Amino acid sequence: MDTLVTITVVSRSSSDADEAIDKGFHEIERLEKAANFYSPDSEISQINTHAGISAIKVSSDILELLTKARYVSEKTDGAFDPTIGPVIALYDFHKKIKPDDAAIIKNLSLVNYHDMVINRDQSTVFLRKKGMLIDPGGIMKGYAAGRAAEVLKKHGIVSGIVAIAGDIRAYGLKPDGSPWRVGIRDPGAQEQDKVMATLELRDMSISTSGDYERFFILNGRRFHHLISPKTGYPAEECQSASIITTEGALSDAFATGIFILGPEKGMKVLEEIGLEGIIIDRKGSLHTTPGIRGRLELKNPA
Amino acid sequence: MNLRTLLDKTTAADRLFFLLLIILSLSGIFFIREILPESQTVLIDADGKPAYVLPLNEDKTVSVEGSEGKTIVEIRGKRVRIMDSPCRNKLCIRQGWVETGGVVCLPNKVVVTIRGHEENDRGVDAVTR
Repeated sequence: MDTLVTITVVSRSSSDADEAIDKGFHEIERLEKAANFYSPDSEISQINTHAGISAIKVSSDILELLTKARYVSEKTDGAFDPTIGPVIALYDFHKKIKPDDAAIIKNLSLVNYHDMVINRDQSTVFLRKKGMLIDPGGIMKGYAAGRAAEVLKKHGIVSGIVAIAGDIRAYGLKPDGSPWRVGIRDPGAQEQDKVMATLELRDMSISTSGDYERFFILNGRRFHHLISPKTGYPAEECQSASIITTEGALSDAFATGIFILGPEKGMKVLEEIGLEGIIIDRKGSLHTTPGIRGRLELKNPA
Repeated sequence: MNLRTLLDKTTAADRLFFLLLIILSLSGIFFIREILPESQTVLIDADGKPAYVLPLNEDKTVSVEGSEGKTIVEIRGKRVRIMDSPCRNKLCIRQGWVETGGVVCLPNKVVVTIRGHEENDRGVDAVTR
């Protein structure tokens, strides 16, 4: 993961803190190695190269990751789909390559989480069709942030915050007794650290999916990385979606799924499952779930 | 009296005067635009209590009473320094002019902090993006 990872902990001793932080980083590295889409020896790559051939035995981490991914796929009616790999692979956000329609349509037929068979008894994962690819990018960082926080806890840290890019896990209280305060990026701003709202987070995870993360502009249209598994094109109804859940993996995957669903369907799904979320739609309007309204501190009320 | 008759009655000097007024009020807008983004403030605490809150962009020298005596804080050219203090080591004075952060005179318990623009992300532990 070539992203910025920060771990902040509260501890009475700086050596205890250093040791726990070290362990937290190791956990993130370990998971990243297992789930790396690009490295041929990762567990995910093993599953991908054996698509249509055989089931692959995986670690409990990958089993858990993919089980959670499938859960979010079901809840978002496939708007989040970990098998989006063959379509994502057609885009090149660095070289600004937009694939042609025929290629997208061809590869869309390989995208379907129902064809990702998870056997929990035997700890195996099998992709039914040859050419299918799991891309864990939409769930991995949140999952790793949550797991790193668990490792901190195991090492006696009573309060901490782990941020892998924009996927954040916060637990416990700061030394002054207040919860951790998280800012939500202003999707309209050029600066990465411009915050549009803040909220307090305790024993929760928050993730944001935004159209500003990875994108290129071609013929006046913005092509970003939040590709709809239904159309093969970037979803266009939102600028960003931030989701708060009790688990990092769920926040991360739901942020992608809800972004792709759009504000209307997205809000409905959040309310059905009982999750909190903040959506900025295409026009810049703010949509929030009822539970978060009193907790959100807006920075620049218009 | 309509506008035309009013204009007919004005002399060249009147018109010049009106023009001046218009320019003056327009320039006000630019002035405010120039000044507002610089809304940084200087907070001075003495002996654990807030003593002054001053704008960083106005030159001023103030004296505050610390636990051991008077500390003199000078604001000039959007910078701050401790000009004089009764402390023995004079570390605070040697720190010289600062533009960000602050200056502290520990022995005399005087804390000078420059507080940035309010819209900055102060107090945020992480940003989700």
